[in-house]
Amino acid sequence: MQIDMREEADITVCRIKGDVDINSSPNVRKFFENIIKEKKKKVVVDFSEVNYVDSSGLATLVEILKKMRVYGGKLKMANLSERVLGLFEITKLDKLFDIVNGEAVKNFE
Amino acid sequence: MNKFDAEKDEVVIEVKDLVRKFGDRVVLNGINIKIRKGEIFVIMGGSGCGKSTLLRHIIGNLKPTSGQIFLMGKDIASAEEAALNEIRKKIGMSFQSSALFDSMTVGENVSLPLREHTKLNKNVIEIMVKMKLELVGLRGFEDLLPSEISGGMKKRVGLARAIAMDPQIVFYDEPTAGLDPIMSSVIDKLIVDLSNKLSMTSVVVTHDMKSVMAIADRIAMLYEGRVLEIGTPDEIKNSKNPLVKQFINGSFDGPISFFQEKEDYLDQLTG
Repeated sequence: MQIDMREEADITVCRIKGDVDINSSPNVRKFFENIIKEKKKKVVVDFSEVNYVDSSGLATLVEILKKMRVYGGKLKMANLSERVLGLFEITKLDKLFDIVNGEAVKNFE
Repeated sequence: MNKFDAEKDEVVIEVKDLVRKFGDRVVLNGINIKIRKGEIFVIMGGSGCGKSTLLRHIIGNLKPTSGQIFLMGKDIASAEEAALNEIRKKIGMSFQSSALFDSMTVGENVSLPLREHTKLNKNVIEIMVKMKLELVGLRGFEDLLPSEISGGMKKRVGLARAIAMDPQIVFYDEPTAGLDPIMSSVIDKLIVDLSNKLSMTSVVVTHDMKSVMAIADRIAMLYEGRVLEIGTPDEIKNSKNPLVKQFINGSFDGPISFFQEKEDYLDQLTG
């Protein structure tokens, strides 16, 4: 699994490549430590190259959201495949996260 | 219609010509079973038919006298302990007795495999525990001790622990034993729900006929260490095999004998 990050105006886009599972989710957590430290306010996680997220990956994303909420940061999940969206839905996390596609990615208002 | 197609579906467990003897006694006598990915496969049979022994072979706890067992493509009968442990991380096991640690809270019991086998952060594990307990309908119970919850709830905690590591296959040993009919139905529904939602393969060992018919995609009927028949619930229900029929109907009369011959008994007393 790899993550690359780019800034688009005031939005931080983190693109994950590969599966987010028990082996890789500690790396996702570590990667986001910096984003949280810098108090990035508008963050998008791009899942277009993710096939599978297990419950450790989902829990890691929940923890990131919790920490971002403390300083008023907003987090969006973008471009989820049907399978990955299904994994969010099983645990009702589709209701917790802002899940977006296309242009909505840029709309943080 | 059967939702599986034997030709195209992936086999995740294959038992080939499995024989197991304890001393002179043959407990498993040439078992052949293929279990497909995503199905709920029930191993059914009366007490002492060898079904729990078969389960213990499939999960690698017992070694066969002869034959092979492939679990997710690995021959586990000949696997070393280290390789077995790696495979075991991908399977979940729900025990008959729930097997919870009395001194640990519900949450600690569910998180145990995560704390032992992963490097996940404790905050992440805490969130995972909440997610797993939600899946088994026990949200908010994490701080209670096993002694403070009912038998049915304990079974559900055992289930939450079995799925803690997101296993590909979950094994259930007599999941409804000792439960009242309503709680049995709750557990049955949970097994079906979890299996569907999490796309897991489920292998259930039971003699609870009501449960078998409610959950199984396919059933293997075991008798005296042999597979009598494998089929869908409908196929098993309509079986012409008198042994299967007797078991399905729970009748006293039939080819399955409950007593040894009179002479044997008298011989034993006087011998």
